[in-house]
Amino acid sequence: MTELRGNPVAFRGRGFSPRPIAGVGLVVFVVLIVGTELGTRSGWISALTLPRPSAVFATFVDLWKSGLLWVHLVPSLRRILIGGSIGIGIGVSLGVAIGLFGVVRAGMVPLVAALFPIPKIALLPLFVVWFGIDETSKYALIAFGTFTPTVVATFGAVDNVDRGLIRMGQSFGLSWWSIVSKIVLPGAFPGILSGLRVSISIGIILLVAAEMIGAEFGIGSYILEAGALYDLERLFTGVTLLSILGLIVSWVIGGIERRFLDWRG
Amino acid sequence: MPSRLIDRRGLLVGAGALGLAGAFATRARAATKVNLGVLRLGSHAPSFIAYERGYLRDEGLDVELKFFEAAQPLAVAVAAGDVDYGVTAMSGGLVSLAEKNAVKVIGGALSEEKGKVGSVVLASNKAWEAGLKSPKDLAGRSFGITTAGSSFHFMAHKIAQAVGIPLSSISLKPLQKLGTLVASLSSGQIDSWAIQQSIAKKMINEGSAKLIGTISDYAPDYQVTTVFTSTANAVDNRDKTKAFIRAYSRAVDDYDAAFVDRTATQAEVDAITRILHTYVSTSSPFEDVRQMLVDDATRINRGLALSMKSVVEQLEWFKAEKMVKDTITAEMLFDTSYVKII
Repeated sequence: MTELRGNPVAFRGRGFSPRPIAGVGLVVFVVLIVGTELGTRSGWISALTLPRPSAVFATFVDLWKSGLLWVHLVPSLRRILIGGSIGIGIGVSLGVAIGLFGVVRAGMVPLVAALFPIPKIALLPLFVVWFGIDETSKYALIAFGTFTPTVVATFGAVDNVDRGLIRMGQSFGLSWWSIVSKIVLPGAFPGILSGLRVSISIGIILLVAAEMIGAEFGIGSYILEAGALYDLERLFTGVTLLSILGLIVSWVIGGIERRFLDWRG
Repeated sequence: MPSRLIDRRGLLVGAGALGLAGAFATRARAATKVNLGVLRLGSHAPSFIAYERGYLRDEGLDVELKFFEAAQPLAVAVAAGDVDYGVTAMSGGLVSLAEKNAVKVIGGALSEEKGKVGSVVLASNKAWEAGLKSPKDLAGRSFGITTAGSSFHFMAHKIAQAVGIPLSSISLKPLQKLGTLVASLSSGQIDSWAIQQSIAKKMINEGSAKLIGTISDYAPDYQVTTVFTSTANAVDNRDKTKAFIRAYSRAVDDYDAAFVDRTATQAEVDAITRILHTYVSTSSPFEDVRQMLVDDATRINRGLALSMKSVVEQLEWFKAEKMVKDTITAEMLFDTSYVKII
């Protein structure tokens, strides 16, 4: 055997895997909030344009202390949870079915593509007639809004599962069900999760639209009321609550990704 | 290519000259440029009359009408300085803007008057059959409003107060838009609603709602709409604001004579209807619009007199319901130096 010659080569294939950098996100928020606070205090930003972050915080504390926070938060969370579960549940099931079965794909993909661009808010009067002005119409609106992006993300994820792995499973004589449960679904999971980030955020956006109709309580109705009263502090408190909801969702999904998707490396 | 450059420059100069000529022409016609915010509603009739009959031009105001869909964006536009004057209900949003020292209420317009019909209270057929025959029966039932702090919300408060039930016993349903309110009442998803005569009459005639009361019985002397402007106009442009009120008052006299007091000739009524028809319900036949105006006729205060008792009551109600900050005072909201106080 001859000796290997030449210079040693450093390992280059580190990949593009994102590294967590602690604190940068926080710094961005702090800079924006402190900038607004200074701007409103110095009068450079007028009281008509933006509220003072400290006044928004005080409003939030009042809301917390008066107990009204939960009065608004609980119905909204229930609406997102029930509406979102329905939409995402049906969406993932249909998305997987589209990915697996040619007939479903042929029948449903055009339908989903036709439903996706419909602005759900435009259908609001129709939802009132179909589902009334009570909770059902709110669940339905959020379910409908989260359904279409979930379907699209899910069948896209199923389509992108490595064909080589499926062929290998078939070569080794795995049953159809084993291939689906051990190769296709785990392989599609990252794509489905990143789709959920989008669909749940759309669900939160639609919360405000859903609560336009006959809602006495809820974060959406709180925001609409603040807008009607031109109460900027309350408006921003409500908007901040929605942002925090979005952050929590992103954090939870991030946690799920870390827990289940370690194998990606 | 120098020749093209010159062409382009020439074009620019031409455009500039045209623009300047336009500006001078405006100057020559009238001294002051004023934007008047309006909604396409019968209650905005004097705005259209004052504009079309040239009353505003006579006062040296070169007016441009700016159209809005709702009272709230109009109030914000006045606060931002994009619109000079507006006439709408005193909503919670308007009060909040006054608290930020951006707007002032300078006069009153529409007033409920006992004996004149004005707005009425409707019940859905379903609620009527279940025993909602009078506003006294409203406890435990739902009442449609557009948004919190709207005139509908205040009417619900006035009714509750007059029949001696707490407002909290009526379940208020904010539905944002008139169309949704009409649909919800017709289909029995809300039990009751208070609305102007023209819309109410249509619903009653179609058999989709029942009449159970008249707002002026529960809220007599209710100053429904007010005239407001930016603080800058109220304080620094007193002459312009006075001129506006003079011109607007002439149109108010025309309107009241034609539709409320009925002292005008039929020809005059038709003439005013023709003016309004170009702005309001433009797709309806002329006779329908005239009938609507006659039905809806609610007094607009002569000289835009402000009913201090009613507007202060509304302000106190907003504060009591915690819809506006309790630091706002009547002095911050009203500028009483322009019109007669009644």
